[in-house]
Amino acid sequence: MTALFEEFSDIDELAEGLEDDAPGGRIMAVIDLADSADPAAIPYLAKAITDEDAGVRKQAAQALTDFDGPATAAALVGALGDGDAAVREAAAISLTELKDPAAGDAILPALSSGDEFTLTSALAGIKELRRSEAMTPASAALTHMASSVRIAAVGVIGWLQDETALDALIQAASDAEAQVRRAALLALGFSQSEAANAALSAGLGDSDWQVREAAAETLAKSGGPGSVAPLITALADDYWQVRLKAVRSLGKLGAREAAMQIGPMMELPIPNLRKECAAVLGELAVPETRQFLDPFSDDSDPDVRKNVRWALDRIGAD
Amino acid sequence: MPLAHTATSVPVTIDDEKCIADKGCTVCVDVCPLDVLRIADLADGSKTAYMKYDECWYCQPCEADCPTGAVTVTIPYLLK
Amino acid sequence: MDEILDGLTQIDCDILIIGGGTAGPMAALKAKRKNPNANVVLLDKAHVKRSGAISMGMDGLNNTVIPGFATPEQYTKEITIANDGICDQAAVYRYAQECYGIIQELDSFGIRFQKDQNGEYDVKKVHHIGTYVLPMPNGDTVKKALYRQLRKARINVINRYMATRLLTGEGRIAGAICVNTRSAEFLVVRAKAVIMGLGAAGRLGLPTSGYLYGTYENPTNSGEGYSMAYHAGAGLANLECYQINPLIKDYNGPACAYVAGPMGGFTSNAQGERFIECDYWSGQMMQEFYDELQSGKGPVFLKLNHLAEETVSEIERVLHIVERPTRGHFHSGRGTDYRKQMIEMHISEIGFCSGHSASGVFVDEHARTTIPGLYAAGDMANVPHNYMLGAFTHGAFAGEDAADFIGEVDFASFDQGEVEAERARVLAPTKRDDGIPPNQIEYKTRRLVNDYLQPPKVTAKMELAQKRFAETREAMETQMYVRDAHELMRSLEAASILDCADMAAAASIYRTESRWGLYHNRVEYERDDENWFCHTILTKGADGAPAHEKRDVAPYMVEIAEDEKDAYYKQRVGKSVAAE
Repeated sequence: MTALFEEFSDIDELAEGLEDDAPGGRIMAVIDLADSADPAAIPYLAKAITDEDAGVRKQAAQALTDFDGPATAAALVGALGDGDAAVREAAAISLTELKDPAAGDAILPALSSGDEFTLTSALAGIKELRRSEAMTPASAALTHMASSVRIAAVGVIGWLQDETALDALIQAASDAEAQVRRAALLALGFSQSEAANAALSAGLGDSDWQVREAAAETLAKSGGPGSVAPLITALADDYWQVRLKAVRSLGKLGAREAAMQIGPMMELPIPNLRKECAAVLGELAVPETRQFLDPFSDDSDPDVRKNVRWALDRIGAD
Repeated sequence: MPLAHTATSVPVTIDDEKCIADKGCTVCVDVCPLDVLRIADLADGSKTAYMKYDECWYCQPCEADCPTGAVTVTIPYLLK
Repeated sequence: MDEILDGLTQIDCDILIIGGGTAGPMAALKAKRKNPNANVVLLDKAHVKRSGAISMGMDGLNNTVIPGFATPEQYTKEITIANDGICDQAAVYRYAQECYGIIQELDSFGIRFQKDQNGEYDVKKVHHIGTYVLPMPNGDTVKKALYRQLRKARINVINRYMATRLLTGEGRIAGAICVNTRSAEFLVVRAKAVIMGLGAAGRLGLPTSGYLYGTYENPTNSGEGYSMAYHAGAGLANLECYQINPLIKDYNGPACAYVAGPMGGFTSNAQGERFIECDYWSGQMMQEFYDELQSGKGPVFLKLNHLAEETVSEIERVLHIVERPTRGHFHSGRGTDYRKQMIEMHISEIGFCSGHSASGVFVDEHARTTIPGLYAAGDMANVPHNYMLGAFTHGAFAGEDAADFIGEVDFASFDQGEVEAERARVLAPTKRDDGIPPNQIEYKTRRLVNDYLQPPKVTAKMELAQKRFAETREAMETQMYVRDAHELMRSLEAASILDCADMAAAASIYRTESRWGLYHNRVEYERDDENWFCHTILTKGADGAPAHEKRDVAPYMVEIAEDEKDAYYKQRVGKSVAAE
């Protein structure tokens, strides 16, 4: 009879395969240990990640994705300095899969690493664990030469949502690299402070359209009365993506004074934008904007039609 | 009604040099949702995986999960 | 391996779950958590590690209902409208209420959903109409994460056994008969409850490439769930509402215009003109797509070549990494590049799949079928537009309800003769010395499906199909020949496919109206709300052939206003709008 059920083997027995002379045999043992999903496998995998064969080390780095906690993190951090690029990269990916905040204990020391790859990976790994001790090293990393490090550092700070980091983020919002500026502006979303507001409004004038888009989008969360005027200016941006986000944010902010500027945009040929304008005109519910909506209540685009009807309903029959 | 032996090109190929079927590895055979891969004995006494049945969805778990990078999935010729 | 062995084992369990893809693992985990003493068995004809529709992962959730972004009322309304009103809202509403909890649970399993720079769920688009799309940047880890949970919970997993028939007795479920796909050994599982999560009938129509396995759905999902439910006497709903999807021609994978849509990509005709505008798949949208293909303005394309480089790269990253990662290979083989030209699209072969349409084994809001103790969830159950998250959520409902059900009952007795009869049926192709191989039976069935069942549906053609299916069935039952256990699995799939083809024809002939756009476009009939605003339920009749009845649509929980009902009609643009 062919075996019926998947087995739950003894971990020590599975680990005997790690003594195999051939790397292939050791790889198989690593795979079996990972499939066990039993934390007792962690010490064996921590040993396998220092195997003499790069293939075994890479497999062990991947296998550790199935586990969590400080011992797993320590093994992975150790592998960030591996001589083989595939092993390093596998370890870095596994590091971002950790969920247990205690795993951060093993990552924190790596946040002062002088090695660019180790530092980037450690920042990416600690981000989701939300360890407040990471704030200081992450802030320091904002001045690192490599933009990949600076982006990872912004990630850590944004997830911590700590007002004391505002200055650092605002500084990053004027970074030389567009992707860093973009990440920093998006990270400001947690703060309703004046300073965040001003930085985002300034971002609407950035030379890179994706940065302007990020600023327009984030103002929906962080904006205040002071953001309305710059957002209205952004309604005329060269990129429809930026205009769309500006419309949406004006709706979120309840900026009724923008309604008459948004109304004529219903005529534009870009369906995504028209949909958004109709929805926002409904949210703002300014009676004078009926004239812009009326012609489109039977629009050929079902989403536009739906939004226009909803908007007209909100505005009321006078 | 005898059956024909019609040749067909297969989308999954295995690098015998890299394959560790010798060590008891059956990862690609295990993960194939359509169960089209098998292990063959080679003339020199070693083993390797190969595509036995031409029933492939070119979905790629065999390539993604192979521990030694021995498996390559291409698009079946009829679709190319 | 593959040699045909003789053997029969019987085991007992409290809950048998057939199908380890999406709904099944969640059902197993939930049942075990609710009743840790329950003996839960999860069975799959492939290996649970990589089985089912999401074997390679998923690029995002299409139907999340997250507080602050959408409400259960909005969602229920949208789904009801998209299905021309034929929708029992209770199951949809319950899904909408509970799916957010499932997202959080999946998140805790290590399945990643896109979060913004502050670590909050990054649901795209925010306004009253509701926003449902939550991207999964590391969606390739879904199956791995599920498998890890199954191992941690110590669920009993049986791989490479295929269920072929359900057992019933005392008016309820009694278990299932299964066969090993590599040895042909039999396994009889007695169970107090059975949960089916066997996926779509994805190998019903034949793809235009002619390659049997080049289907839109994962071809392992060959309709066994529908076939087993039918033979066990369960009701199946609205099977005439086929699934047909837009796709990349020949590659047959999803075009995912909904991914590109919010970034400015669209579906265009050969002139580069937009002819249809909708974020959401519906039968009406597919009808417009079909009309354009047939018109002088076809074929149809995915148009991205007007977009900024950054945007194209982003779309490419999402579409080429997960779900169907070979898509990039396909484009490079063809020498096509989103930046330089439009990519030819087409429509998929027909299938059954509630993931994107509305047909399937009839279930209520607890995932109960019409047979006590038998449950169904995911693509094979009839909850409309369910997608992956629906499979997880309804799988959870099934697991929890079954955990209660087993406390109230003992094993139902069944007729041992059924086991012997099933063994004889299954093994018949192994007892012949030569004959017709399963792939030819399958090819013929599916070619006939394309010739006669594909919409637009014509009565005379569908009747011809029934005649030809009967001839094919005769050949299958008397001449099919297999040489090993693997081919035996294919022969069983061929039988399921033929059952589904028969059900598709019968259901389509029964509903004498047109509904759901292209899905049930019967050219001889108009829509007829007076007589056909109802479900159709197909069961196995006393004569062994499909029997039909109408079933009222349950009273709505969320009312639909008169002027909202046409939200998915008239989707063609009034005049052609040139590309921006």
